[in-house]
Amino acid sequence: MGDPLYVHGVTLAAFVIMLVKVVVAFAALMLAVMIVIWFERKVISDMQSRIGPNRAGPWGMMQTLADGIKLFFKEDLIPGQANRKVFKLAPYLVIVPAFVAFSIIPIGGIVTVAGHSFELQVADPPIGILLLLAMSSMAVYGVMLAGWGSGSKYPLLGSVRASAQMISYEAVLGITVTSVVLVTGSLSTRAMVASQAASVLDWNVFRLGVVPFLLFFVAITAELNRPPFDLVEAEQELVAGYVTEYSSIRFALFFLAEFMNAITMSAVMVTLFFGGPDGPRFHAVIWLWPILWFVGKTLVFLFIYVWLRAALPRLRYDQLMELGWKVLIPIALGWLLVVGAVVVDRWWGLVVAAGLIGAMALLGRAMAVGRGEAEGEAAALASVDSTGGGDGGPRAGTAGTATVGVAWREGDA
Amino acid sequence: MVQYLPILVLLALGVLFAAASFVASGLLAPRKKPSASKLAPYECGIIPTREPPRRFPVRFYLVGMIFVIFDIEIVFLYPWAVDFKQLGTFGLVEVLVFAIVVFITFLYLVANGALDWGPHRRVQVAVADRTVENTVERITARVQVATAPGRVATAQTGGGGGTGGMIASGSEQETATAVSGAADGD
Repeated sequence: MGDPLYVHGVTLAAFVIMLVKVVVAFAALMLAVMIVIWFERKVISDMQSRIGPNRAGPWGMMQTLADGIKLFFKEDLIPGQANRKVFKLAPYLVIVPAFVAFSIIPIGGIVTVAGHSFELQVADPPIGILLLLAMSSMAVYGVMLAGWGSGSKYPLLGSVRASAQMISYEAVLGITVTSVVLVTGSLSTRAMVASQAASVLDWNVFRLGVVPFLLFFVAITAELNRPPFDLVEAEQELVAGYVTEYSSIRFALFFLAEFMNAITMSAVMVTLFFGGPDGPRFHAVIWLWPILWFVGKTLVFLFIYVWLRAALPRLRYDQLMELGWKVLIPIALGWLLVVGAVVVDRWWGLVVAAGLIGAMALLGRAMAVGRGEAEGEAAALASVDSTGGGDGGPRAGTAGTATVGVAWREGDA
Repeated sequence: MVQYLPILVLLALGVLFAAASFVASGLLAPRKKPSASKLAPYECGIIPTREPPRRFPVRFYLVGMIFVIFDIEIVFLYPWAVDFKQLGTFGLVEVLVFAIVVFITFLYLVANGALDWGPHRRVQVAVADRTVENTVERITARVQVATAPGRVATAQTGGGGGTGGMIASGSEQETATAVSGAADGD
C-alpha cells in the first residue's frame, strides 16, 4: 500500500522524482483545463449550430490562452463595499483545493525509471478518497466567502444558494462513495482501481448495480454547479452568482478552478466506477496504454457534461432541494445497506431489501403528511381571502371593493 | 506520513501559482483608477438603493443543521465500510440499527415539511381599505370617467373613492364623489 517510491525513505532521488511528478501533474492539469474549456466551447457551439472560437490558433485552440492573457491585462477592481481581506482570500480557497483534489487520481500503472519504481499518481495516502471529500468541502468556504465578502446583493444570494446546494449534495456524494469503499475495503484510490482490474464486469458500476454510479454522477454535477444544476450562477436572476464582483485575474482563478474541478470529478468517476486506467494493453509501449484509457474515459464524462449543458433546462431551486433530500439521499442510503447486506450474506440482503420497501412506504406516507400540512395552510389562506376580503389579487378584489365602497358611502353621508 | 508529502508540495505550488498570478496581474494590469461607479456594487447599471440582505430564509439554516445529521452518519459509515469484512454480521446489524434511528429522524423532518422548498403563498393580514383598485392608479379609467360617466361609475366607486387619500389627489376625489353620486341616483 502506498507509493513504492518511498520504500527506502525520502532519499534525494525519491524527492526529485516526487517533485517531477508534482510539477508534471500541475502542468498537465493546466494544459488540460485549457483544452477542456476550448473543447466545451467548441462542442456546445456545434450543438447549437454555431461556429464557436475559430480565430486564435488552429481551430481556435488557443482561445483559452488568449482569454487568460487578456485577463492579466485588466484592471483589478475591489468594490468599495467589499470586505477586502475576505475578498482577496476567497480565490485561494477555491483554487488550492482544486489543485490538491487532483493528487489522489491514479493516472496510470506503476512504472520503473532508473531503478526507482513509482506510481503514476501524485500521491497515494491511506485516506485516499476522503481527501477528495475534504477538498470539495473546502471549496464551499471559498464560494461562500467570495459571495459574502463582495458586499453586493447578487453574489451574496448566489453564494447562499451555492452553499446550501453543495452541502445537500455532499451527503449523497459521501454515501455513494461509502458503497465503493464497502466493496474495496480500503480508502486508497489505488486499491479501488486494483479491485476492479480483473474484468470489465468487475468495474464498480456493474458490481454495485448501476444505481450508485447514477447517484454519484448527479451529485457530482450538482456539486460542480454544472448545468442543469447551475442555479448558483443563473444569469437571468443572479448575473454571475458569486463571481459577479470579481474581475481581472481573480475571476480567471475562479474560472480555472471550476474547470479543474470538472476534470478532477470526471477522473474520480472513472476511478471509482470505471476501473480508472484499467483496460486492454498491447505490447508496444506498455506504460502508455493505461494513461490513454484513463484520458479516454475521462473525456467521455467531460463530453457528457457539455451535452447536459446543451440539452437540459435549469432546475428550479425547490426541485433541486427536493431531488437531493427526498430522492437521492434515501435511495443512496438504502442501496448502500442492501449492498452491505448482500456482501455479508444473501439472506441478509433479502431481509434488508424487504425492510427497504417498508421504509419506502413509510417515507411516502411521511411526504404525504408533509404535503398535507402545506395543503392545510393553503386552505387557511383561502378562508382568510374570502372572509377578510384583503389583498388577494383579482379574485378576492371584487368582494373587497364592494365592502370598501359601502363604507365610503356611509362616511360621505 | 511520507505519502502526504506530494500533497503538501502540490498545495504549496497551488498557493504559489495563485500568488504569482496576482503579482503578474499587478505588474501587467493598468494603474488602478477607481471611480464611484466602478466601486459601487454591481446592480446592472441601477444605483443600489438598499443594502444587501442581512437575513435569509430560515430554511437555509435548517438545511445546514440537517446536513450535520447526515454528515455524522456518513462519518460513522466510513470506518464500518473499511473494516466491513472483519466486522461481518455484527457490523451490519449495528449499522442497520444506526441507519434506522437516522431514518426515523428523517421521517420526522419530512413529515413536518422541514425539507419543503416549494413555492409557499404568504398569508397576509387583510386590510379592508387597501385593494387593487385603490392602490394601483388606473390612468385609463380616469379618462373614461370624463367621457362616459354612467358606465365606469361603479368601478370608480371603489377605486378612487375608498382610498382615504392613498393615491388619488383632491380633485380626483371630487370627481369620484360626483360620479358616485350620479350612480346612487340611478
